[in-house]
Amino acid sequence: MALLESARTGRLPAETVAHGKPRRRGKGRRDNLTAYLMIAPMAVLLGIFVMWPLAYSLYLSTFKISFYKDPQFVGLQFYQYVLESTDFWHSIWIGLYYALIVVPAGILIALFLASFIKTLSKRMAAFMKVTIYLPAVVSTVIASVLFTFMYQDEGVVNWILGLINKAPVAWLNDPDWALPAIAVPGIWLGFGITTLILLAALLDIPESYYESAMLDGAGFLQRLWYVTVPLLRNVLLYLFVTGFTLAIQMLDLPLIMTNGGPTGATSTPNFFIFNSFRDMTPYATSFSLTASLLLFAVLGLISVVIFRLIRSDKAVDG
Amino acid sequence: MSEPLVRKSAKAVLVALITISVMFPLAWMAIAGFKGREEVLRSPFQFFPDMWRWQNYADILRDGQFSRAMIVTFVGAVVFTVLSLVVNSMAAYAFARLEFTGKRFWWVYCIMPMFIPAMAILLTSFVVVTKLGMLNTMAVLIVPGVASAAQMFFLRQYYLNFPVAVEEAAMIDGANRWQIFTRVFLPQSAAPFVVVGIGSYLAYWNAYVWPILTITDPDLTQIMQFLGTFRSERGIDWGLLMAGSTLASLPTVVLLLVFQRYIVSGVRISGIK
Repeated sequence: MALLESARTGRLPAETVAHGKPRRRGKGRRDNLTAYLMIAPMAVLLGIFVMWPLAYSLYLSTFKISFYKDPQFVGLQFYQYVLESTDFWHSIWIGLYYALIVVPAGILIALFLASFIKTLSKRMAAFMKVTIYLPAVVSTVIASVLFTFMYQDEGVVNWILGLINKAPVAWLNDPDWALPAIAVPGIWLGFGITTLILLAALLDIPESYYESAMLDGAGFLQRLWYVTVPLLRNVLLYLFVTGFTLAIQMLDLPLIMTNGGPTGATSTPNFFIFNSFRDMTPYATSFSLTASLLLFAVLGLISVVIFRLIRSDKAVDG
Repeated sequence: MSEPLVRKSAKAVLVALITISVMFPLAWMAIAGFKGREEVLRSPFQFFPDMWRWQNYADILRDGQFSRAMIVTFVGAVVFTVLSLVVNSMAAYAFARLEFTGKRFWWVYCIMPMFIPAMAILLTSFVVVTKLGMLNTMAVLIVPGVASAAQMFFLRQYYLNFPVAVEEAAMIDGANRWQIFTRVFLPQSAAPFVVVGIGSYLAYWNAYVWPILTITDPDLTQIMQFLGTFRSERGIDWGLLMAGSTLASLPTVVLLLVFQRYIVSGVRISGIK
């Protein structure tokens, strides 16, 4: 009886809502139960496989770890070491510089390619969709080796420079050119997926928007800037945030192509971390672990800035 | 729909140019598979081999370990992709469309992992999966990566673009939120699912460091692990590595050919005109 009673009282509020007043709609509506059930699998998995290791890493970073002695608690000492290391800050700057080349260039190329593919016939478009994605299929290791060849003194790139009567450049050995040089394979590896993402988003923009813009006399670039870009805001935010976090973390290209050189010109943050780890200096583990946790802080800050710059938590028509 | 001939041929030229610049490095990889051990790294750069030899390709195809690694990795990659699409799209819908208590907290919690450098948690993740007794199982390769902040973020951004009007219409018809997700959003998700799904598939397929840490059982050897064995103590056998990489990329190319057709105009916008 009590059970029945509680079941009835439990149902009561819902009934009052249903009969007593009109259903609340829009902003005030809450769907706590459905929402929690829908994010639960993700939240639990992240808790076990990301948050737990992260907490453990944070804990370990307060210890001096060496193979010869027991771990010794040192508090935030390693954080101080890393923050005082000029090489660490230099690598953050290199990472930012690399990302500033790769991300905007990659998105711009992808935007033009996606707009172009959209105008093609069905068969041509199918062909291009597969073709542009192919570089991503190759591992970074293979791409690095390949581009190292193309940059050699007698390589393809200098051969093309020779055709237009320019002196050859020692691409990977010139501190001014090394970073832009490794940025090219970075763009090459990433633009396929970016193009497909933008294409999928472009295809969802109703053709009528373009037609009315054309009636108003808007040219190709005007249509791109005033119609396409604002409607792609949500997708562009995604591309900028993930692009930046991935680019700043680039490791393979400098590791294989330049080994961080010349004179540290391509020493990205992860390269710096990897290098201090394999240095086998005393406490290399603690130092590189702490450096990677600080890199996390830097990445988080940058993305907060990007999130603020491109506000997008609304539906386009909502 | 007939276009002027000039325009048509300009398009064809552009397609050809893009194709060449994209395909050149890949063609080089496939052709380098026909080269000898040292020939690949020879300077100055040479595109074609002195002599076409099938040796590398034949050796790999005859190796039973290669085909087993391909099958094991393929099965793992497919399961991984499906699971991540299920888990991440549900969370994406909740964050895009539902209002709930603590939404901001859970959003930060779910998006933060995107900014954690892999290196910061690589070793401690290994400790965690060891404690959970997951070493040398398929689960250790699949489960830890299923929840992906980046993928959830992408799908959420995509769902933000869905017209609210469709959802409201479904609600007036009496559908609850779960029904709206499964009957309105999921059927319209083919294009974004293909785009991020291929990404997940490739992330699994190209994983190298994680399998090396967690898998020692030869029956579960992953394809990149297998290719890694070509870097023996005698140095890297580049010809063999290039041939192996070419063969290993084929399943992905086939998948792309099959699924590219889903990246087309959505019907949902026209549905509410």
